[in-house]
Amino acid sequence: MKEGHSWEGNWKGRLYARVREHGYDSLTAFAEARPTLPLVELAQELGGDDVNAVQVFSGLVAEAERSNRLTRLVRSQLVRELWESLPNGWPAVLDDEARMEVAIAFGSWSAFTPVTHEERARQVMAVLLAKPPPSGWRPLGPDDELLLTLLPDETV
Amino acid sequence: MRADSSRVWWTCLLLVLALLSNACAPLMPPPGRGMRLHYTPHGVVGPAFAEGPSTAPGPGGAEGTAWRSALAAHLAFRGAVGDVSGSTRRISGELSRLRASHRGIAGKAVGIFVRYVEYGERQLRWIDAELAAATRLATTASEVDDPDMQLALLRLAGPRLEAAMMGSLLLAVWTDFLLLTDAMLSQHLGGVETLYVKMERWQKMMEPSMNALSSLEPGQVEAAARDVPALVGHLTDEFAALGEAARKGAEVLQNVLVLKETIEALTLMSALRFSLPAVRPAAPAMFGMGLMAGPNGVMMGTRVVVSAEWVEMMRQLVRAGVISLPAVSAAVRIQAGQVMMAESNQDLPQGVRDALGDGPEVRGMRVTGRAGAGMAEPPEHHVLPREFREWFEQRGFTGEMSIDQFCVRLEQSSHQALHGGGNWRLGRMWPGEWNQMIMKALRDAETVAGRPLTPSVILKIVAREMKRHNLPVSFVPWRGR
Repeated sequence: MKEGHSWEGNWKGRLYARVREHGYDSLTAFAEARPTLPLVELAQELGGDDVNAVQVFSGLVAEAERSNRLTRLVRSQLVRELWESLPNGWPAVLDDEARMEVAIAFGSWSAFTPVTHEERARQVMAVLLAKPPPSGWRPLGPDDELLLTLLPDETV
Repeated sequence: MRADSSRVWWTCLLLVLALLSNACAPLMPPPGRGMRLHYTPHGVVGPAFAEGPSTAPGPGGAEGTAWRSALAAHLAFRGAVGDVSGSTRRISGELSRLRASHRGIAGKAVGIFVRYVEYGERQLRWIDAELAAATRLATTASEVDDPDMQLALLRLAGPRLEAAMMGSLLLAVWTDFLLLTDAMLSQHLGGVETLYVKMERWQKMMEPSMNALSSLEPGQVEAAARDVPALVGHLTDEFAALGEAARKGAEVLQNVLVLKETIEALTLMSALRFSLPAVRPAAPAMFGMGLMAGPNGVMMGTRVVVSAEWVEMMRQLVRAGVISLPAVSAAVRIQAGQVMMAESNQDLPQGVRDALGDGPEVRGMRVTGRAGAGMAEPPEHHVLPREFREWFEQRGFTGEMSIDQFCVRLEQSSHQALHGGGNWRLGRMWPGEWNQMIMKALRDAETVAGRPLTPSVILKIVAREMKRHNLPVSFVPWRGR
């Protein structure tokens, strides 16, 4: 329960050292190889207590900005949120309890959405609630068909 | 819910029974008790809890272990609250009776003694208020499904339980003084003036500790808890002396008999009853040696000082970091009677301390919880942003759940990172600043849910975000300005 030391020292250097130790040349590649892992577990797998989820996400945002793949990251993060909050997939019935679980997942996703994509994320939430996906829906990654329809990559 | 409350009721009843029978020396566990109360993480869990939250993680893995130990701490917490509530209920009954004692304390000397009953009632009020607040926190804890957050909430409630526990022990002693005074006044066994002066003095003796306990200031509560055994020891002497003085004052044999009967008939609330036949400190070597932990609880010779169930309950709470070992030790010392009470600096024997949950990691927890090795405490940071105090208040974060209760201590590096300072970011499009982020998560969740978030849902979201930031899910109250 002690406060982690993940913010101490040169954490950026530490983050990328860990990526290389795992045999990847980018954080994105490391993350995409584990598309359904919740963010905290992703950070844990990468660097134990030496790195945290916020740092990992921040690194992912930086890489996505450079490669113009922010939208893909936003989809990837929704996948992780859904696996974390709704491990059995999209609820069959959106009763109060199920709706609250969805709400918690969406809230977390919203907090981990870059400012450029906030509005689009809200629209995705609205659509998913208005026209729910099939019961048990559990996207396996950012290339999920439904997700691509809801949040397609920009054609630059 | 019904099963739950009846179980809590049973627990209270059994603990009260345990306490009552404690006071009457031979303690045989009531039939069936051994089967009902299990506070061990591996023990049988009552049906109400086994039904628990439907999303409860399975028994396997680290998550299961965390969940089980949170559950065990929770049960122990409920048990301890029930234990203290049982004794405050009895005290409350006695105080009402005293208030109506027109032939005694309420009627004599145009009611000048009533203020002492009122003093007791005031103490009872804060103790009951703390117990109620502790219960509410425990209820919220039971609604949060994250075991770390559950423990954090129980730890938040811990100081209240601790203060109420120590306060109720002192109040029981005070009530005994009231009962004896009442008996003496109604039987004309003591001078009104002498009694008044004495009561005044005892109240003054007790007041600093009571005030310290009711302040809930951790440092003060802990210091008071350490002092209480010696104080109770001292008061026991005074109590015995009062009885003695009354005996001497009673010239006629008839009066002596009345006094004897009166004192014997007193249903003393406190530990005084069995510590009264004072073991004079003639053989200091035996004090520490006399206490030992056994299968029936903590024993002093053949007498059960505290029951095995109580010990197990406290062990769970100490190990979970909910209440502190010094407070529990103080309670045991008081139960052990006069000699142990008076030896304020004497620690319990290691065997007993071990049974109560002492261990290196518990001691470590205490060191980091305080100012460490004389270092300044890092600053506190509100986890629920202060700018949105009203938003949280509207959703139930008031009183013991005030946002000021939910602070974390952060080192400079974490604090800067949390607020996006210190050039910490990698990407530019996602500031990841704590206050903005947590409010976004909460507000969007509320919009999607279509109804106000409950405190337990808010805490669930907060726990998740804290883990993402690698913040320990452990709170300290706000002390800054």
